[in-house]
Amino acid sequence: MSAQPARKHDIALNALGDPTRRAIFEKLGRGALSVAHIADGMSVTRPAVSQHLKVLREAKLISMHQIGTRSYYRIDPEGLTAIRDYLDRFWDEALGNFKQLAEATEKASAANSKKLKRKK
Amino acid sequence: MSLTIIEKEVLVKASQETAFKVFTEKMDSWWPKTHHVGKTPMLESILEPKKNGRWYGRHEDGSESNVGYVLEWEPYGRLVLAWQVDGNFHYDPDLITEVEVQFIPEGRGSTRVKLGHKDLQKLMGGSKVIADMDGGWGMIMNLYKNVTDAA
Repeated sequence: MSAQPARKHDIALNALGDPTRRAIFEKLGRGALSVAHIADGMSVTRPAVSQHLKVLREAKLISMHQIGTRSYYRIDPEGLTAIRDYLDRFWDEALGNFKQLAEATEKASAANSKKLKRKK
Repeated sequence: MSLTIIEKEVLVKASQETAFKVFTEKMDSWWPKTHHVGKTPMLESILEPKKNGRWYGRHEDGSESNVGYVLEWEPYGRLVLAWQVDGNFHYDPDLITEVEVQFIPEGRGSTRVKLGHKDLQKLMGGSKVIADMDGGWGMIMNLYKNVTDAA
């Protein structure tokens, strides 16, 4: 686990913000592929594909495996869990705030109704 | 741990009615200020109190930004919202993930609030990347399982 999960999430999302990288990522959704297979049918050059693969790897969205002399790429779940963790922290913070506010509201209304009773 | 759902639970020292009202009427007070949809800070977050009611924010520059809408409105016990904001906090009308909130009375004036945010696979990649893939989410789950098994 990285020490900066929030940044990791940004990196993963930014990496998928590019249409070519998203296309590569989707291609890898069907299974592990070599660079040649990934570049096949794409309108960008192979060096460009390699550059995109590098960005996806740095975002931990894909990983590389060496089989013989060939490198294969496949989807790495770590980048995806970063996005989930990000939302998980969002709800933790939101519900923490909510609890405080609900309890303060309850206290205030209880104090008010006591006051009303006393006036009667 | 499931990758596609977030489940949270919080015990609140307040009645079911107070809990429901604070959740739905005072959303802008508990919504983390660091996360807003739209370009400028949010002034208020509004949830129209009815089925299919809009869920949106009003911003400093006068603009409004959609978050989603009400799928189920059952005061004071249950609420289901459609969350249509992607992982970048951008509204996407084609995206629907569900946020279900239950308000369960626990006695002595306490309420257990259970929240479930489902279908998270739709948020990942900012859009429908994974939902559109041939292998779909099951394939990712298998990969994930392989990784955790190996670890």
